[in-house]
Amino acid sequence: MNKPVQIIYNRVALLNVTGIAMYSIEIEHLSKTYRKGFWGIKVAAVVDISFSVKKNAVTGFVGPNGAGKTTTIKTITGLVKPSKGNVKVNGVDVSSHTARRGVAYLSEQPCFYGHLTVAESLEFAAKLLGMKAGVIKNEIHRVLDIVELSHKAKSKVKEMSKGMQQRLNMAQALLGNPGLMILDEPMSGMDPPGRRLFRNIFKEMAAKGTTVFFSTHVLEDIESVCDEVVVLSKGRLAYSGSVSDLLAKGHIGTEIEIVSSENSIKDILVQHGCSIESETGSSCTVVVPSAVNAAEILKLLGEKNIYPSQVVNRSSSMEDLLYGKSRGEHE
Amino acid sequence: MKAVYTIACNTFKETIRNKILYNILLVAGVALILSVSFGDLSVFSRAQVMTDFGLATMSLTGLLLAVFIGVGMLGVEISTKTIYGVITKPVTREAFILGKFFGLLATLLLNFVLIALVFFITIHTLGVPQNASVFNAVLLLMVEMVVIVAAAILFSSFTTPTLAAVFTIGFYIAGHLNDLVNIGAQQQQSIIWSTVLKVLFYIVPNLENFNIRTAVVYNLPIPAGFIAGAVLYGILYAAILLVLSIVLFSRKDL
Repeated sequence: MNKPVQIIYNRVALLNVTGIAMYSIEIEHLSKTYRKGFWGIKVAAVVDISFSVKKNAVTGFVGPNGAGKTTTIKTITGLVKPSKGNVKVNGVDVSSHTARRGVAYLSEQPCFYGHLTVAESLEFAAKLLGMKAGVIKNEIHRVLDIVELSHKAKSKVKEMSKGMQQRLNMAQALLGNPGLMILDEPMSGMDPPGRRLFRNIFKEMAAKGTTVFFSTHVLEDIESVCDEVVVLSKGRLAYSGSVSDLLAKGHIGTEIEIVSSENSIKDILVQHGCSIESETGSSCTVVVPSAVNAAEILKLLGEKNIYPSQVVNRSSSMEDLLYGKSRGEHE
Repeated sequence: MKAVYTIACNTFKETIRNKILYNILLVAGVALILSVSFGDLSVFSRAQVMTDFGLATMSLTGLLLAVFIGVGMLGVEISTKTIYGVITKPVTREAFILGKFFGLLATLLLNFVLIALVFFITIHTLGVPQNASVFNAVLLLMVEMVVIVAAAILFSSFTTPTLAAVFTIGFYIAGHLNDLVNIGAQQQQSIIWSTVLKVLFYIVPNLENFNIRTAVVYNLPIPAGFIAGAVLYGILYAAILLVLSIVLFSRKDL
């Protein structure tokens, strides 16, 4: 976890002391069913999910296709009405349009009016946000600078590539420095420089105190920018918590590489619950399971004058952890 | 109100750049000019034919504009997801519907004024005598278009653009045949059918209230207060349709 994020957590604690709600998004027992086909058969998109998104943190929203991520995000942004349950944004029920004050949304597909230019699109969005005419021009310059799109201000949106449109999408989400950013697969269709730019924007926004909640399929994004993660599977909640807790749960054990030909040492290690792997000549790898205290094993080896040449933590991959969660393996 | 104005301005900009608009305008302009030769060919006086044909052209143009531009408005917004950029802001769905309505209405009224100008210039140039009731007829056609646009918005708030277009055209035809429904209700022997037709008569607007073509063409007297009553009727009916649109659209999942 990098330094700015630690500062943010201190702020969260401060907010708790002052009695201000510590969650930007609160979802309680949310269910959503759609009617499909001629007979209007009910299909459940989301089933009884409850989770909260901490203020001022970057939270990733993960799950395989069809897990219910977009439905959940649409419910939070007021595009879809919940069938059951409550959804609150900054303490306000999402059925009220006031819940969307200070909230930015970025859809997976950039969706702008084709007849407008980049600057006109941002002006339209700024007016809808209620920004005053005097500040709109400067604000448009500011957000275009951030997404490196200033040179395209007069271009027609429909003439731009998808990557460029996604940058414009991000620019409109940044208008007015929102307190909460809800992003549905924001990096879809982006080239590597674009992805890097977006990740940096998330980090900077979080450092400024903005809550960022984004869905993604790219697990590298979760590891590199997220403090928290919410995992959905088949419309149900599979995991909600901090990334560090998730990684800790994925800790399989510790690998200690030693040089010793003595079988008695190996026997002692096995008696302590360790296993011996990949013996080559006098060296071998001792695997200390997570249930056994690796420090005690190292101390034991030290008493026998055996000093490890390498100590490595062995963990499940992020993919195993998240998609294991989404299959319900770690519940 | 600010959101309604912003959305209306954007809708106006969007529709004014729509190529269909100019095609319909061109057809209307050509039809109005052609009415000159129809006047010469007809056994009726040129003034009667030109006035009748001109007003009918304006009524149909209003319908075409409402169907081809109005009906697609909401459907296209939903299918292209441009609506997401509006509804996810602190904007009510009421403001969205009203903004769309007023923006569309501004475009259609502007075009209607242009067609009316072509009509008046044509009959003035040819020295066809005009009476004040022609202006009243044009005013009522504009009110009729307000109702048609509101109906187009209502239908497109709950169904696909194609079906909404069919419904809007059906609404226009049923509205102009509404007097026949009333006559049918009075002549029915069955109480059930009579009640059904009566209900239909009151639900479907009487668009013939906005049609004073015959009175204008044959210079018949128009009852005092008829124009004001028809305008009020049209505005109230459009308001009811808009309230229904808002109720349906507020429940819609996007």
